[in-house]
Parts: sequence; C-alpha cells; structure tokens
Amino acid sequence: MRELYEFAVGPMAWAAFGVFLIGSVIRLISMYSLARKKDGPFLSYMSWRFGLRSILNWLIPFNAQGWKENPLVCVTTFVFHLGLILVPLFLLGHVVLWDQYWGFSYPTLPEQAADIFTIAVIVACLVFAWRRATNRTLRFVTTGQDWLVLLIAFLPFLTGFLASQHVGPPLVMTTLHVLSGELMLMAIPFTRLSHMIFGLFSRAYMGSEFGGVRHAKDW
Amino acid sequence: MRRVNVVAAALLLAGLVWALPALSQEDMKTVPNAAFGTPQRSAAVFQHDLHNEKAKLDDCGACHHGDDGGKPDPASPTPGQPCAECHPVDAKGKTPLMRAFHRQCVGCHHDSGKGPLTCGECHT
Ligand code: HEC
Ligand code: HEC
Ligand code: HEC
Ligand code: HEC
Repeated sequence: MRELYEFAVGPMAWAAFGVFLIGSVIRLISMYSLARKKDGPFLSYMSWRFGLRSILNWLIPFNAQGWKENPLVCVTTFVFHLGLILVPLFLLGHVVLWDQYWGFSYPTLPEQAADIFTIAVIVACLVFAWRRATNRTLRFVTTGQDWLVLLIAFLPFLTGFLASQHVGPPLVMTTLHVLSGELMLMAIPFTRLSHMIFGLFSRAYMGSEFGGVRHAKDW
Repeated sequence: MRRVNVVAAALLLAGLVWALPALSQEDMKTVPNAAFGTPQRSAAVFQHDLHNEKAKLDDCGACHHGDDGGKPDPASPTPGQPCAECHPVDAKGKTPLMRAFHRQCVGCHHDSGKGPLTCGECHT
C-alpha cells in the first residue's frame, strides 16, 4: 500500500497533470481548427458582448428558461459545480500539499464549509443518478459514458470525505482518493467532462449566434 | 493521637505518590501546536523518546538543527529549543513553521520508507 501511495503522489501525479494539461491544449487546438474548417465564416460573428452576455445570464440561478422549468436540476447543478470547483482548489488538505512540496500557499475554505460542499456534491451526484435512472426522457438519451463520467466525478469526493472523516485506514483511503482524483483529471480532456474546457466557449458561441444573427436571447 | 498522626502521614504519602507523576514533566505524546494560535487539526502524534528509539535516531541534530548563517546546521544541535523560535508561523521567504514540520517529518518517512505519510496517520 505504501508503494502504491508513493507511486500515486509521485510519477502518477506528474502523469495525471501532464495528460490533463497537454490533452486540454490539444483538444482546444483541434476543436478550433475544426470550427474554422466547418464553420469558418461564423467565427467572425463571435462577439465579446453577446458571448459574455449569454455566459453571465446562464450563471444566474433561475434566470434561464431551462432553470425555471426545472428547479431541482437548477439547484443541484449550481451546487454541484460550485463544490466541484471550490473544494479541490481551496481545501486545506490540498493547499497543505502545495505548501509542503512546492513551498507556496493561499487562503483556504473553513473546514466546515468544505465538509458541507463535499456532502453537497455527493448528494448532487446521487440526485443526478436518480434522475438518469427514473426520468424517461433522460433515460432515453443516457449513454454508458454518462454513467461512467458521473462515477468518475463522484469517487474523489466520496473517498476524500471518508479519508477526512478517518473512516477506514488513512493510508488506504488516501491512496484511493488520490488515484480517483487523478483518474478524473485525466478523463477531463477525453470525455464529456471536457465541457470544463469548452463550456465557456460553446456558451459564447451560442450567445453570439443568438445575439448577433438571430437577435434573440439564448437563455 | 499518635495513631491519627500515623494515618494522616500515610494518607499524605499516598497522596504524594499519586500526584507525583502528574507533577513531574510528562513524556511528549504529541508535537505541541500552541504556536499556531487556533490549530485546524489535532496535534500530531509523536512519542518523542519512543519514536527516536524505534527509528534509531541518536543524533538530536537530525531534527533539532542549529542555524549556520541562514542554513540549517545538524552539527550544532539545539535540543529543547522550540522549532517556532526559528520558524515563525508566517516566515516570508524562509521555511514557515508548518512547512518545517511537514518537510522534516514526512520527508524522512518518505526517504526511509517507514513512518506515517498521510494526514490522518499523524493528525488522528
Ligand atoms: C508525519 C506526520 C504528519 C503528516 C503526515 C501530516 N502532518 Fe500536519 N503537522 C504535523 C506536525 C508535527 C505539525 C505541527 C504541530 C502539530 O500540529 O502538532 C503539523 C501541523 C499542521 C497544520 C498546522 C497546525 C494546525 O493544526 O492548524 C496543519 C493545518 C496540518 N498540519 C495539516 C496537515 C494535512 C492537511 C496533512 C495531509 C495533507 C498533514 N498535516 C500531514 C505532522 C504531520
Ligand atoms: C525525529 C525528530 C527529533 C529527534 C531526533 C529529536 N527530537 Fe527532540 N523534539 C522534536 C520535536 C518535533 C519537538 C517539539 C518541538 C517544538 O515544540 O517546537 C522536540 C522537543 C524536544 C524537547 C522539548 C520538549 C520536552 O519534551 O521537554 C527536548 C528537551 C528535546 N526535544 C530533546 C531532544 C534530545 C536531547 C534529542 C536527542 C537525543 C532529541 N530531542 C531528538 C523532535 C525530535
Ligand atoms: C536555531 C534556529 C533553528 C531551529 C531551532 C530550528 N531550525 Fe529549521 N532551519 C533553520 C534555518 C536557519 C533554516 C534555513 C532557512 C529556512 O529555510 O528558513 C532551517 C530550515 C529548515 C527546514 C528546511 C530544510 C529544507 O531544505 O527545505 C526544515 C524542514 C526545518 N528547518 C525544520 C525544523 C524543525 C522541524 C525544527 C524543530 C525540531 C527546526 N527546524 C528548528 C533554523 C532553525
Ligand atoms: C530522521 C527520520 C525521521 C524524522 C525526522 C521523523 N521520523 Fe517519524 N519515523 C521515522 C521512522 C524510521 C519511523 C518508523 C519506526 C519504526 O520502525 O516503527 C517513524 C515512525 C513514526 C510514527 C509511527 C510510530 C509508531 O509507533 O509506529 C509516527 C507517528 C511518526 N514517526 C511521527 C513523526 C513526526 C510527527 C515527526 C516530525 C516531528 C517525525 N516522525 C519525524 C523516522 C523519522
């Protein structure tokens, strides 16, 4: 177990960050050249104003029509993404590692807030799974990858929470946590999780089309 | 009267024997964390003498190093001097207290292939 842990925080960590960063850059470049080839003229319609307007409007809870129609999805989605971004970046346990290995640190979430966000993400994953399993329309469009991606996002939070609450042997739980986090990092460029890289661009693209071409709102 | 005195003396003695271990300095079981003000974690488990016996650390300077013109100096040990005296909690451009502990403790456990590595093994 000790060897596996050392491997996970050593070579594997380099590999995971490398795959994530390089993979993301490659995906961005290839997506851009694809857009130029297929939809070249439209790129000139890309507008900061309409793009940002759309992004901003989608960032306000219950503002977009889709959010209004489905309050549960709206709340779950916002809470889920907030936790998904805040907890990994601002958790004390993570910043302590930056400090130990790289010698820098920055402000962190209070431990209780981090616990609450973590539980919220775990619950949100369960809500998503429950909807996928029970909602007929959603079940129809759900693929195996949707389940896989949900599991990949769920595991680091579950194992991290258990490790932080000292459930099970710390070394085993922490190893599982690190490995599942690395799995998620590496999955981002190559699965549906890539909306983390593309999300803002595709929103801006939609916003520009609706704002500049159709003269309509896209939220 | 005499018997009462004997009983009183015996009681006093028993009381002393009971209180003595508490009066004498207790062995260190955790690394003191008072310097951090409001610690976020439980104090790290560390039975000083037992630890160093098990880890075969006779050289106090392995941990209690001295200061050689801004460099850590294991050759002039400073046992008993709190790390915080040379490593303040906020030490810009130098090794702050938390990093000093983590690098020293986890660093050696990593290098020697023995001893705890993850948060929950030290901050129980
Ligand atoms: C080998 C033992 C060891 C490991 C592993 C370890 N620590 Fe520590 N840590 C210490 C010692 C020793 C101190 C300083 C005094 C104390 O807390 O008892 C300390 C101090 C701290 C402090 C500052 C004091 C406080 O409580 O606010 C924080 C925060 C902390 N550790 C968090 C962590 C986190 C998070 C991890 C895992 C990423 C971790 N530590 C892993 C030994 C360890
Ligand atoms: C593995 C590292 C390590 C080694 C080796 C070590 N110490 Fe310590 N010692 C510590 C730490 C950590 C503290 C707590 C420091 C603090 O409070 O900032 C401490 C505290 C002390 C204290 C003050 C606390 C008390 O219990 O009264 C004394 C005295 C002391 N050490 C003596 C020694 C002597 C003598 C040796 C060599 C035989 C030695 N130490 C070797 C880590 C070590
Ligand atoms: C007499 C002063 C003094 C005391 C006491 C002292 N240190 Fe240091 N230590 C230094 C100096 C000077 C440096 C080098 C400058 C710096 O990094 O802050 C240093 C550096 C370090 C480093 C960084 C080494 C590296 O290469 O990254 C660690 C870790 C460390 N000390 C841990 C400790 C621990 C743990 C204690 C208590 C057991 C302790 N020190 C007690 C003076 C001291
Ligand atoms: C110079 C090397 C070295 C340093 C520095 C060191 N350790 Fe260790 N530690 C060891 C070794 C080796 C072991 C394994 C001992 C054994 O064989 O059980 C160990 C074991 C431990 C254990 C498990 C003890 C047990 O009974 O199984 C704890 C807890 C621990 N260390 C805490 C600390 C803390 C806290 C610090 C920093 C203040 C520290 N160590 C600094 C070498 C070191």
